[in-house]
Amino acid sequence: MSEIRIRYTELGKSFARRRLFEDLSLSLESGAALLLGGENGAGKTTLLRILAGLEKPSHGLVDFGAGEVAWQRCRKILQRRVMYLHQAPYMFEGSVARNLELALPRGLSKSRRDEKIRRALEWARLDGLSGARAKTLSGGEKQRVSLARAWLRQSKILLLDEPAANMDRESQLRTAALLRRLKAARVALALASHNHEVFDELIDRRLLLEDGKLHAARAPALPENVTRLAAGRLRRAAKARR
Amino acid sequence: MNTLGAATLEAFALLFRGDAGLWEIIGISFRVSCAAIAIAIPPAVLAAFALAHFEFPGRRLLISLSNTLLSLPAVVVGLTVYLLLSRQGPLGDWRLLFTQPAMVLAQILLAFPILVSMGHAAFQAADRRAWETARMLGIPPARTFFMVVGEVRFGLLAAMLAGFGRIIAEVGASMMVGGNILHHTRNIPTAIALETSKGNFSQGIALGIVLLVMAFVLNMLLQYFQGRGRIAL
Amino acid sequence: MKPFRRIAPLLLVCAAVFAAPGAFASETLVRLATTTSTDNSGLLRHLLPQFERESGYRVQVISAGTGKALKLGESGDVDVVLVHAPKSERRFMDLGHGVDRRTVMENDFILVGPRADPAGLRRAASAADAFRRMHRAAHAFVSRGDDSGTHKKELSLWRAARVNVADENAWRLEVGRGMGASLQIAGELQAYMLIDRATWLFAGAQSELQLLYEGGAELRNPYGVIAVNPARHHVNYPGARALIEWLVSERGQSAIGGYTAGGARLFTPSAR
Repeated sequence: MSEIRIRYTELGKSFARRRLFEDLSLSLESGAALLLGGENGAGKTTLLRILAGLEKPSHGLVDFGAGEVAWQRCRKILQRRVMYLHQAPYMFEGSVARNLELALPRGLSKSRRDEKIRRALEWARLDGLSGARAKTLSGGEKQRVSLARAWLRQSKILLLDEPAANMDRESQLRTAALLRRLKAARVALALASHNHEVFDELIDRRLLLEDGKLHAARAPALPENVTRLAAGRLRRAAKARR
Repeated sequence: MNTLGAATLEAFALLFRGDAGLWEIIGISFRVSCAAIAIAIPPAVLAAFALAHFEFPGRRLLISLSNTLLSLPAVVVGLTVYLLLSRQGPLGDWRLLFTQPAMVLAQILLAFPILVSMGHAAFQAADRRAWETARMLGIPPARTFFMVVGEVRFGLLAAMLAGFGRIIAEVGASMMVGGNILHHTRNIPTAIALETSKGNFSQGIALGIVLLVMAFVLNMLLQYFQGRGRIAL
Repeated sequence: MKPFRRIAPLLLVCAAVFAAPGAFASETLVRLATTTSTDNSGLLRHLLPQFERESGYRVQVISAGTGKALKLGESGDVDVVLVHAPKSERRFMDLGHGVDRRTVMENDFILVGPRADPAGLRRAASAADAFRRMHRAAHAFVSRGDDSGTHKKELSLWRAARVNVADENAWRLEVGRGMGASLQIAGELQAYMLIDRATWLFAGAQSELQLLYEGGAELRNPYGVIAVNPARHHVNYPGARALIEWLVSERGQSAIGGYTAGGARLFTPSAR
């Protein structure tokens, strides 16, 4: 399996009235998991979407190992190679099986397709849900369908936006287990998450997006740090309001 | 005025006896309006999608334009088509004035703004995630487009019904460009106008009943699909 | 998108039908139902101001086909009718709907059509021959199809020519419109059409059609005026009477004879 390393540099995003972040650098590597921390509104989602080629940065360079290229020029490549999973994954009309089928190349024989779908259902612990209407699944089940789609598509780079949001503890653990298996299969992972202790043992590097900058944070002290930092800021903000 | 009661009774008799002339007029109405909707839908859906999905200069202008055209009076459309197709007009050589294709053309123009406007709203309400997810799953843009169309199908169906409702009951443009020719371009609304002017109320009432029943059915369907559209999101 | 919006016009029409009689009734108002040909030819705009000046009455014109005009009279929605369908007029009188019928004027019908004249109407020996030729050629023919005096005349001419047109829908096009609109359609379709000379002189120039057959007693077009029977309905009989008297008077008749369009006289006064 070919190893991947994408390095992003000088990433910046500004809106008409506000600068979200500026001059960020980070890299994604096969078999490595990156955790992106930071408060709501710090720009984690925007950053992930830029990494996936979905949202335009104000500035940015990308290096696939053959020299830096402007983000704009490799947007299509990013979209093709990077899989971004929305915080609330989108389910298309139809059954779970049909949603999984979408990730398979067309032209597969029916028996091959059914076999792959069956294995994906098994992989993602979705047994028995094959015929269920995907839009009616729970948050955790939808997350696993979207992971199964990524698995079927054999995505090498996976970005997850709050993968533990809107689900119970058991679903979080199941999601974490699937991510562990993807990591073992040398998929590059990046997670934006508040609520990350379920993913702790999976994470190799932690970055904190705060005030428009990325700070390296050391594991495993980060969670408490983040919580404390956030709490401190809330207190200060509350005081200022008074 | 006891003629109203008698005319209404006779109207029901005409409808249920299967009066050939009456049902021919109803058939022409449906044929013309269905053709107009069928032709208008593909370009209207593409336009609505483009307006909702792409950023390009003039986009906002086009959106307000299509919303403005919603209230375009039918007679203005009729006049425009008339002038285009008249023997002295630029398309006079086609010899289409006072034919069904001329009515279809006018009805396309009438339905188009409704289809675009409501279609645009439907696509706007559709989740961006649908498009992004499909693209990241490696599905080519054309197929992704059809998938998104599938996702908002109730909204598009509602647009179609609303457009159909406007053109099937429209009298001004049909009268002007169709000419209300019996067996050829006489449809329900122009026939009602004519029968009333002849003082032949029972035919008018019978056709009016057809339109009323249809308006009712269309509105029921519209409400149903709009409800479905909301749940499906 | 509310259902009411689609029903509203219908309700309005119903309301108007109920409200029309009586709503504007007044002593000085005369309501005249007449055919589209007298209105479209501009005759009424020429005559009525004179009558109004001399009599003090005001005339409200409802212009429709002869069939509708007589229906309006029958239901008492108007005070007086001016139409051109002698047979229907006689029936109207026989049924007691009207009183004081007088002949007012006449003009004649003509056949117009495309310059190329594929049916050869220019060589027709009689009106019946002309209609047989049109039937043979099966070239587009625009019929008023609105139960008007002209429509009735056309049907009687087909009958006289022994042509059964009941099922001829491919080339005989019933448009169900007034004289002016039908002429416009005939012009666009380059079709044949039976038209009264007044409308033709008044509006024919724009149509690209040509006068192809005229003359003969069959094509005479007499106009009659009838007051609605005051014993049947609450109508302005004195006003109707005044209008009829004026139309057949010396002054009225010379006003009719003096009305021209493009240098030609449109109607011939014929009151006796």
